[in-house]
Amino acid sequence: MLVARYTLRAHRAAFLLGAGEEADDVVQEAFVKAFRHLSRFRVGEPFGPWLLRIVANETRNLTRSRRRREALALRMGTATPECAAADGPIDEVLAAERRARLMAAVNTLPERERRVLVCRYFLDLSEAETAQVLAWPTGSVKSRTARALKRLRGLLVPAEQNRVSSG
Amino acid sequence: MADRAGWQDVVESELRAAGRELEVPPASDLAAAVRQRLEGQAVRHRRMPGPETGARRRWLAWRAALVVVMAVLAALIAVPQGRAVVIGVLRFAGVELRQEPGPVPSPERSASLPGQRQMPLEQARHQVSFPILVPAVLGRPGEVLVSDGGRVVSLVYPRTPYGLVRIDEFAGHLDQVYFQKFASLRMMTKVEVNGARGAWIKGPHELVYITRDGAPAAASARLTTGNTLIWGTRQVALRLEGNLSKSAALAIAASAR
Repeated sequence: MLVARYTLRAHRAAFLLGAGEEADDVVQEAFVKAFRHLSRFRVGEPFGPWLLRIVANETRNLTRSRRRREALALRMGTATPECAAADGPIDEVLAAERRARLMAAVNTLPERERRVLVCRYFLDLSEAETAQVLAWPTGSVKSRTARALKRLRGLLVPAEQNRVSSG
Repeated sequence: MADRAGWQDVVESELRAAGRELEVPPASDLAAAVRQRLEGQAVRHRRMPGPETGARRRWLAWRAALVVVMAVLAALIAVPQGRAVVIGVLRFAGVELRQEPGPVPSPERSASLPGQRQMPLEQARHQVSFPILVPAVLGRPGEVLVSDGGRVVSLVYPRTPYGLVRIDEFAGHLDQVYFQKFASLRMMTKVEVNGARGAWIKGPHELVYITRDGAPAAASARLTTGNTLIWGTRQVALRLEGNLSKSAALAIAASAR
């Protein structure tokens, strides 16, 4: 049961960190490495971040080796916005639009900032776990998160202000 | 500054909400590929094409298959000589959970840990290398047993509202196995104790103490009573056993100081 939880997260992490449709390959590689190096794993340590660090590493190797430098765009699931648009209350329609816009903004962020947002908010990792998974100092996690949030605000707020000023 | 914190909270919660709706495709069947690779044959997994409608089913099947494979792999890696039929092994906080028939239990009530000695709590604290945690909810233990040259300490509460309650404590941060449990993984659920992970094992199961040399101590083999909670702190791992409900066990665990 514990393991089932981690496989789910590992695949999600690989996909969202940029492995795209090669997420399966990344997870396969990560599990093989994890089991080969099981002796390095300390019993008291949480298994999740340890495995995700291997996943993040493998994903990084993959995206580096891929000629395309730009990461794959993250997309909202199609089901939810459509349902909301069809018969949902107006609030939900607006929320879905807002999230789609937010995700478009996330896609324009520099690679490192995107990675930190993926870990913190899409994989629900703590700052300490994110630091472990991305192999960064905690300070970098904090500063890059703050920078990314600020940039997102910058990307989102002017659009609204423009609309107000032009309307 | 208050405004700044405000917009940050908004962006963060929007990100979390958006994250829940992100499109993530289902995974392929990797179990066979991982197993084969660990057995030494480097093969790439075969992608399973299929209509989107079957995705959820395939995903569940994949998960189920992988759990079994991972358990078997863990068993192969954890057991040097590969005991005959090991279906699954899970290690957690110094406790190894094995899915296989356990050893023959010792006669009723006589099972004991090697070199078991009873002593006052204060004396026990000097005999072991880790801090002994005592649950405030239960108060002072009726009996304190130090075993195997200070490798394990057991707190025994003969009369609690739940009947006999026993807590075994050991230095759980070391990469050692102290106890083997023989139980189905289905009996186990993940829980959280003071923010750290723990395992709740429902129902009696066979338990045996593992010495420093990695050998099971035959005289310690016994059937547990009631349910068991396993958890750890930075320095010590604990095993709580008794006729406790999950919430009672978690309350006892949370009060351990």
